[in-house]
Amino acid sequence: MAAVLGLAVQLARRDLRNRYLGSFSGGAWALVQPLVQLAVYSFVFGYIFRQRLPGADAPGYVPFLVVVLWPWTAFAEAISRATTAIQDNASLIGKVALPRTALVLAPVLASFAVHGIGFFGLLIVLLLAGAGIAPLGLPAMLPAFALLFLFALGLALLLSALQVFVRDIAPALPQLLMLWMFLSPVFYGRYVMPEAVRPWFDLNPMTGFAEYLRFVLLGTPAPGWPAVACSLAGVALALFAGAFAFRRLQRHFEDFL
Amino acid sequence: MSVLVQARGLGKSYPRVFRRSDRLRALANLLAGRASGEVTPVLQDIDLTVARGQSLGLIGDNGAGKSTLLKLLTGVLTPSRGEVRVDGRIGALLELGAGFHPEYSGRDNIAMSATLQGFSADELAAKLDDIVAFADIGHYIDEPVKHYSSGMVVRLGFAIVAATRPDLLITDEVLAVGDESFQKKCIRWMEDYLEHGGTLILVSHSMYHIQKLCRQALWLRQGRMQACGDVYEVTQAYLAYHERKSAGEETRARDLDAVRGLEFHVRSMRVNGEDAETLPALEQGAALTVEATIASRDGRVPVVNVGIARADGTPVYGVSSDMDGVQPAPLADGDYRIVLHFAELPLLPASYTIRVHPLDSEGMRLFDTVERTLTVKGRSSESGLVRLAHVWEHAAPLSRSRSE
Repeated sequence: MAAVLGLAVQLARRDLRNRYLGSFSGGAWALVQPLVQLAVYSFVFGYIFRQRLPGADAPGYVPFLVVVLWPWTAFAEAISRATTAIQDNASLIGKVALPRTALVLAPVLASFAVHGIGFFGLLIVLLLAGAGIAPLGLPAMLPAFALLFLFALGLALLLSALQVFVRDIAPALPQLLMLWMFLSPVFYGRYVMPEAVRPWFDLNPMTGFAEYLRFVLLGTPAPGWPAVACSLAGVALALFAGAFAFRRLQRHFEDFL
Repeated sequence: MSVLVQARGLGKSYPRVFRRSDRLRALANLLAGRASGEVTPVLQDIDLTVARGQSLGLIGDNGAGKSTLLKLLTGVLTPSRGEVRVDGRIGALLELGAGFHPEYSGRDNIAMSATLQGFSADELAAKLDDIVAFADIGHYIDEPVKHYSSGMVVRLGFAIVAATRPDLLITDEVLAVGDESFQKKCIRWMEDYLEHGGTLILVSHSMYHIQKLCRQALWLRQGRMQACGDVYEVTQAYLAYHERKSAGEETRARDLDAVRGLEFHVRSMRVNGEDAETLPALEQGAALTVEATIASRDGRVPVVNVGIARADGTPVYGVSSDMDGVQPAPLADGDYRIVLHFAELPLLPASYTIRVHPLDSEGMRLFDTVERTLTVKGRSSESGLVRLAHVWEHAAPLSRSRSE
């Protein structure tokens, strides 16, 4: 287990270094990209569409967006990078003996490391700028961030194993992730939806994460227990399914790559 | 002696995937814990034991499954059947540049290889200078591997193995790429490694290298074990098989009825008292007795010719009774019999064919041919056909000897 982790860390570090090696801005690009994304979203939703948040003491739209969009970006990027991890390393799998879980763990680690640091930095900036971030929320959000990591890891193991056999997963994934993002309370809160639709959000495991992050960082209402239960069940199910599928399939990867 | 490598019933098959639906069916089967469907076996029923310090050479034709077996031993591939256990750290030099990422620098790739072999960052840092020095590729060490020549890639790969000193070194024929001085360095290193108890599993098409470096050999043929055991016996059997194959001759069945109509035919042929077509292997330098009984239609005395050829057809020696001024002596039933005796057969270890021909009394016309296959075994790595008597002069005893 320690060997897998050591190898994954090494792979992740190499991947990160290489990802920004050829670019002029270097590692800064990792932070600039989500910042630009954030600027675009705040302009579109905060200015053009005038997304409004109810309540006099409601936080501004930018912090509202940041506390969920950033973890979501880490999550989505981890999954989409990890899905092709086995396929991309086909040359390694046929030639070198290595624990294959490390190949999947590495991109998940890399995504959460880059965006985790960016997220933390941004929260500090928002805190200092007086955007209404609760200082105690920083440690309180860590369990959610860790669970989100496990959620991504479970899905990554499942999808990367399936991708070896069925190559349709990787091309379909960006669309599915986009759909999932808009179905989750990332750009909006659940309360903007019609009354009849709101309970259905509990079934989306991402709802619990979004509402918990906003609860601890911005002081919005806490998520109900069904949403939290659903999130925890989602993480457990993803980890179980991912571990099961990966264990069953990994000895046959080389035959189908 | 402790066992380093143990394989039992080892087999590898690849699934037959032709249509897109095959992949989906295979996926469903595998997830349900069943076999993946139709498979093509590439390696079957391999049983193998390699003790620590005892090296093994793998030989066989292209596509016989040698590389697949190496990959199963190193754990790169997972066996479809059977199991393999290796009690030690493996260093593998399988394919050119395997495991190197072309975009990363030599140093990065060294770090990755060391991590894959289970070395910590501290251990790596301690060895890094050695590796760079051994590879000896100058400033290229900081350039991406994609800019390397194939020789540099091999240098880097071997340098990592040399510095990490694995318990078991598994290598395919990759060293041939390096230049003269580097090859010498590698051979020197390998001899030192073997002397200090290292174990080697080597694939090579050079029987010379196999015999020099290994004490055991395994001959793979069409994914199965054809022979396994002492390196000399196995390599000689393999070479003999190749000689027969290139001679391309299927021993034509002798048409007994047609032969009986001839003036002379061979009634029986016995080599060292044996009647069988293929004789038990003979030690190098042992005695050989060829006994021929010739039937004569008209009661005339035949001349008997005995010939020895390599399995590929190269003649080694041939002699007729009349050349030595003798002739077969008659038997009571009208046949003629003669016995040819070689006291110390100087043939080198290989496979040979012994032929007996009756000729007419004038020694002009050849009638019948009967053959026997003979294998000479021995531990000699001399080359050629026969051992010529020789003496070295102005020579001192060999000072550096490999521990046996």
